[in-house]
Amino acid sequence: MSQKQLPGQSIPIGYVIDGGLKANLRIRLSVPPTTTREGSFIVIKSGNWQFYGIATDLQLGAVDPRFADTSSSQHFPVDIAAQFKKQTLHTDMVVMPALMLESGPEPGTPAYAAWQEEIDRGEREAPSLLPVKTIPSHQSDAFLANAGDIAEIFGKPEQDGYFIIGKTREQDHPVCINLDKLIQRSSGIFGATGTGKSFLTRIILSGLIKHDRASVLVYDMHNEYGLDDTASDTGLNVKGLRSLFGKSGVQIVGLGSGADIRGISPDFNLTLSCNDIMPEDIEMLSRELNLRETTAATLDALVQAFGRTGWFKAFKDMETEGTVFDGEKMVPSPESVTFWANNHGVHPMAAKGLHSKLKRLFNKKYILDNPPSDSIQAVIEALKKGRHIVLSFGKYETDLDYLLISNLLTRRIREEWERTTNIFRNGRGPEPRQLVIAVEEAHKLLNREIASQTTFSTIAREMRKYYVTLLVIDQRPSQIYDEVMSQLGTRVCGWLGDDDDIHAVLSGLAGRDALRGMLARLQPKEEALLLGWGVPMPILIQSRRYDDAFYAEMKNKSKKGLDQQRAIEALYPD
Amino acid sequence: MMENLTAGRLLRANTRACVVGCHIRQSPPDFGSMIFIPNQDGKTFGLVYDIHVDDDGLVRQLASTENVSEEVIQDNRLNRNTPIEMSILFIGYEANQMIFHSLPPHPPLSLDKVVLCSENEIRRFTSFGHFGYFRSILNNPELPAADLTAAHLNLAYQAQPLKDRERWKNAAVEMIITLLRDNPNMLNQVLFAVSDIFSPQSNAQEA
Repeated sequence: MSQKQLPGQSIPIGYVIDGGLKANLRIRLSVPPTTTREGSFIVIKSGNWQFYGIATDLQLGAVDPRFADTSSSQHFPVDIAAQFKKQTLHTDMVVMPALMLESGPEPGTPAYAAWQEEIDRGEREAPSLLPVKTIPSHQSDAFLANAGDIAEIFGKPEQDGYFIIGKTREQDHPVCINLDKLIQRSSGIFGATGTGKSFLTRIILSGLIKHDRASVLVYDMHNEYGLDDTASDTGLNVKGLRSLFGKSGVQIVGLGSGADIRGISPDFNLTLSCNDIMPEDIEMLSRELNLRETTAATLDALVQAFGRTGWFKAFKDMETEGTVFDGEKMVPSPESVTFWANNHGVHPMAAKGLHSKLKRLFNKKYILDNPPSDSIQAVIEALKKGRHIVLSFGKYETDLDYLLISNLLTRRIREEWERTTNIFRNGRGPEPRQLVIAVEEAHKLLNREIASQTTFSTIAREMRKYYVTLLVIDQRPSQIYDEVMSQLGTRVCGWLGDDDDIHAVLSGLAGRDALRGMLARLQPKEEALLLGWGVPMPILIQSRRYDDAFYAEMKNKSKKGLDQQRAIEALYPD
Repeated sequence: MMENLTAGRLLRANTRACVVGCHIRQSPPDFGSMIFIPNQDGKTFGLVYDIHVDDDGLVRQLASTENVSEEVIQDNRLNRNTPIEMSILFIGYEANQMIFHSLPPHPPLSLDKVVLCSENEIRRFTSFGHFGYFRSILNNPELPAADLTAAHLNLAYQAQPLKDRERWKNAAVEMIITLLRDNPNMLNQVLFAVSDIFSPQSNAQEA
């Protein structure tokens, strides 16, 4: 039920009856239970302090169980029955306190003026949000948060770097996300299929691009972010990032020469040189290519023989089964894998096996002997200049393509950003541009088996110091390596049905027991739980609509401030 | 109801209750009626929670006699020496123009005049404060609390101005529930009794 309130008006809902920091607070509701919901943002006023928390449970209770058993409506007149229910039956709300803020004495009183003066004179620390370290007293009044409370905690839409990601479910107050904080650490967007992950991702990426907080590289495995698309459920046109921000802002890169994305040519094509492929790129594909334990030794021998940049081409050019007659018998030809293996102390069968399995790569049209340009470097340069790249895989939609390209490109990016960061730290160059790499189907790159071999896990763990973070998008967070999950700062989570997935999303967070049920009971669409390091406290939101009003805001030239204000009015006219 | 009808004179008392005697010709007040006993500083207020007619030797004889004539019966009733007794529960007092919903500081004295409260006095007493006098009624296990409460509410309800009646009734019921919510059996009994009085059917009959 939506309960409207005037700006600045707090709706009282009850009072604190018991609880604690560990056990959460229990609020006896003075309003019908349907006025509030799990996930409601609650403010508790206690003396000079305000406590902020989130409703994690609602429980029916009775002064005596017999009262609940008695159907008062049958025995008493309506008004007496109503009184009876009001006095003997109740609903308690469990609130997980998260933050506290000193609000000072009642505004307008001499005590408040004195308190404010002390702050102004520097004799008292200015109030700031603190993690909750104490609890409100008994019978402290509890309120549904008003727009001011939300803005106090999550920031005001007109502030630079704050971007509306959704609204509170009960009162429709806009909830902002601090984009600067979001990109300081890697973050994740999770949700089962069909819960709106892609829309949430589009919204967040749009915010980053609009506010120019970072360059964005999207590994668009399913070709849905760059160009306009049609929503699978509504059939409506969904604008791509390129449509919103234009060609000068967002560039579409297609994999392979002559690539097209649903019949549209990309801005440029990404091709790999054989020289780009390193042995570790192959090792990472062990499961996909079904490689054997001997692969590492064979690759090492190839590198020893042809160098790190030459081995792939040389190996590709070898013949798997070539033989020649030496006058007495058939022997391996000098161009054959066996010949090379025999001369380099490698078991011929191991070499032939690897060669055979790598044929899937040798045959890839986007791996060229002599590409016309270094398109990987072109992508890197565009990102460094503040452009945003959506890499569409076009017809190359297999896991093999996705794993190889994303890891290889990311490795190059990592090397470049580490280099420029070190130059910057030595005072010999400009500060590197912040970069966010959006990774779809992240569990394919960050699962337990291969996470340690990919660049992505390194980025998740360490690269925030080097101005690169990940935006992980996935429907099976439980498949992502724990060590990576624990490093994700901000988590935006839609509905998840699997207990393991819910457990994974909440790993490393305080109050996860209380939040677990909330995640499981999210609406299947347009609802998300924001939590983690990037938000001051967990909050349940109704995600923002990716619609005409959103498009209009994104297309507005102004970065922030007034246009956001107009957007708020357009989005939330009430 | 006549204003300030004398209900009788006090026979015995303590600070919680008293017994009042009256002659049958005085038309003793109804069960649940509200009375006051004037004193030097003000008044002591009470509720009639019991009315009893004691026997004497002649009544016993007559009761065992066949064919007692109507004249004899009336003579015994009207000219009896033993008064009709009413038990009164003290529910508050007035001193220096102030109403208090608590027990009087001292009991009234024997043969003090006991007066039936007028509607004005009932309204003044019952609309003061927050029904603190309900404690005296509901916490006394020796009283017929359910019926006494219902009878009192009915009387007091009628004494309220028409526009205030429902609000007063709701506030009274709320206080009853607050006081008795730890005692489900008692609460149910009281609410059933109150409901009988205030049910739509009762109101229709009354109208």
